[in-house]
Amino acid sequence: MFELLSFGPNGWGGQLLGGAAMTVAVSLSSFALGLVFGSLGASAKLSRNVALNALAEVYTTIVRGVPELLVIYLLFFGGGGIVMAIGRVFGYEGYIELNAFTVGVVAVGLISGAYSTEVIRGAVQAVPHGQIEAARACGMNRWLILRRILVPQTMRYALPGLGNVWQLTLKDTALISVTALAEIMRVAHVAAGSTRQPFLFYTTAAALYLVLTTVSTAAFERAERRANRGVRRA
Amino acid sequence: MHRHPPTNPNAPEAVIVDNLHKRFGPLEVLKGVSLTAREGDVITLIGSSGSGKSTLLRCINMLEVPDEGRIVIGGEAIGLKKGRGGRTIPADARQVDRLRTRLGMVFQNFNLWTHMTILENVIEAPVHVLGVPKAEAVDRARKLLDKVGILAKADSYPVQLSGGQQQRAAIARALAMQPKVMLFDEPTSALDPELVGEVLLVIRQLAEEGNTMILVTHEMGFAREVASEVVFLHQGRIEEQGPPDRVLVNPESERVRQFLSRHLSNGG
Repeated sequence: MFELLSFGPNGWGGQLLGGAAMTVAVSLSSFALGLVFGSLGASAKLSRNVALNALAEVYTTIVRGVPELLVIYLLFFGGGGIVMAIGRVFGYEGYIELNAFTVGVVAVGLISGAYSTEVIRGAVQAVPHGQIEAARACGMNRWLILRRILVPQTMRYALPGLGNVWQLTLKDTALISVTALAEIMRVAHVAAGSTRQPFLFYTTAAALYLVLTTVSTAAFERAERRANRGVRRA
Repeated sequence: MHRHPPTNPNAPEAVIVDNLHKRFGPLEVLKGVSLTAREGDVITLIGSSGSGKSTLLRCINMLEVPDEGRIVIGGEAIGLKKGRGGRTIPADARQVDRLRTRLGMVFQNFNLWTHMTILENVIEAPVHVLGVPKAEAVDRARKLLDKVGILAKADSYPVQLSGGQQQRAAIARALAMQPKVMLFDEPTSALDPELVGEVLLVIRQLAEEGNTMILVTHEMGFAREVASEVVFLHQGRIEEQGPPDRVLVNPESERVRQFLSRHLSNGG
């Protein structure tokens, strides 16, 4: 039975490992994209501009209120059309097909970003106002305050929440197996079907996800400890 | 007992506040306040809570933007304009940032940056705002920390210090910018009584060295010792101002007399 999991000619080991690498690649890309969406979303929500507030509200309401699988379907079947419509505006008439990786990263990134928006917004609001005031009183401009004071202080409040978002993002990548992208879930599904050993392969998939989440949780704990220097007594 | 020399009428004007008005919604906190601090002056602002003394101080470095009036720092008037909705805003944010580097601010709650060590707090603005080379900034910071008596805490984080030590670090942080004027906003009000003395000692030393300072305080005995001029605010207006031995000992205003009797009976 374990021959099926080996790296030999009859084993699925190589493909499973490749699937794990794909899962990591999609997760990291989606989470990073989500942080970009989340930072923009949080800035928009905290802005005094009413139009930006509304835009961010629409984004988080739709993406958090619709099943994640549906977001992926909408992007997979509608994304190419949208990109082609944009292409036509710039005079490009050809056919554009988005690859599964890009669609998957954008879809999961949108979902991840909606949750990150709320985490980052809350973290920015948790930074005591006096910290910013002290910086202004020293003559720091807005960019310097953002870079030297607000972002480092926000990180310590955001990291626990972002750790959760990372785990959700990692698991959400399983949903893009529906686009036939060869990540853990997809490989397990194919292997289960062709060997008729579904339990073996799905258990293996579960183990792979657990390894990834355990390792990344440890990494987040390290990051939290670092960001929290000066909060807890040494 | 040491007394601060009286205002030198020939010294250049470090800060001029002219007919300042400030509203928070329907509440008018400052109703036309004018004040001049000449170089070497130590002006203490006193008055009940809600009298506008902290707002006045915060207007000087534009942490609050006045609705009307003029502020001149070292001969340079701060440009103001009407923004959207009729609110007054600084005409040039860069001018405000630049003038703020000449005004050292010490807050009631210290406001040390919690993610930096004490030394990092002190060198932050000199290095990143003024562009002082790091080695030079560190050298100067260590001297300042030594001066306020907490050099041993240079590598500690603010949370590891007592309130008095944190406030002394905050004073060192403000001094590191080599400001022309120091602003103190109730620097001892958040401290346990036994820690007040160590902070007042540092402020007194700065006064004796001839630094120009404007400070909001509830410490009447201290105001009497360090001030060249005492300004009493009441409901957004200056009720009485003058040398400490007059305002704090023989005030003309009945309101000041009542205020002092309340504060002196509290041991303030």
